[in-house]
Amino acid sequence: MDHDTRTELYQQVILEHNKKPRNFKKLENATHSAEGYNPLCGDHLMVYLHVNNAQTIEDISFEGDGCAISKASASMMTSTLKGMKIEDAQKLFEQFHRLVTGELDPGQEENTLGKLAVFSGIWHFPARVKCAILSWHTMKGALEHQQTVSTE
Amino acid sequence: MPPYQGGGDMISKVTFEKTTYNVLPYKFEAGTPNVADAIGLGAAIDYLQTFGLDNTLQHKKELLDYGTQALQSIPGVKIIGTAQRKTSILSFTVDGIHAHDIGTLVDNEGVAIRTGHHCNQPVMQHFHIPATSRASLAFYNTKEEIDKLVKAVYKAKKVFE
Repeated sequence: MDHDTRTELYQQVILEHNKKPRNFKKLENATHSAEGYNPLCGDHLMVYLHVNNAQTIEDISFEGDGCAISKASASMMTSTLKGMKIEDAQKLFEQFHRLVTGELDPGQEENTLGKLAVFSGIWHFPARVKCAILSWHTMKGALEHQQTVSTE
Repeated sequence: MPPYQGGGDMISKVTFEKTTYNVLPYKFEAGTPNVADAIGLGAAIDYLQTFGLDNTLQHKKELLDYGTQALQSIPGVKIIGTAQRKTSILSFTVDGIHAHDIGTLVDNEGVAIRTGHHCNQPVMQHFHIPATSRASLAFYNTKEEIDKLVKAVYKAKKVFE
């Protein structure tokens, strides 16, 4: 792996979301919530969703402790999913999962990832893939009524 | 006490009527012994003795003192674990940067350290920190390598400015 590929992980948008995470709070009127935990590295977060009768994510937030990658990923996930249909959120989960494991090249394949494509280099860092995906697994778990989600 | 597993060398005589086990310790050492590891241990001891245990300890002590000074001089770095007679490891936190990010960025500069809760979550809770970065110094490490670590931590801080 060359030097540039490695430093590309910490792009400005990731650093910025880490510094000022969006929707970083507890959601009082949550209809769904789950706790995400990676016991191996200690990353820990809560994801809250408010889903309305039209099956749309009206509001979404997160709280927790973790590295810049996990925090930025959770922050960007909440910004992206707010206002989205559950069905579309689940499709996006699949795309994001394939992105961070290196199966989806956003330059080659049609996708709806938008800004989330900033995580495309992470599969070069196998130890960090779990940091990026934890919030997404937790969101999916919350929608499927799981109380705790572990990525180990 | 009955043997916990069967295998070569652990029996003395077996018939349809009766099994007689071998004498101790063979009764509990079924199968091929761990020959490779025993030879490896011998080689490791020979290797260590070419430096001498006293020299090894002395070198590690110098590295620890040097590394403690060097890391403490970085603004925002705090060393966790400051016992008088501790072994040559340096566990530290950097203000505002999670240990996993430090680990990746330092690795990027060619320095391998361990990050996380080190299978010691109660200690992390005691210090109110999620994780630490940890450099383990061995007798083959050098002061130049500590300088390289310090430089890499400064560089990581710059990324997070």
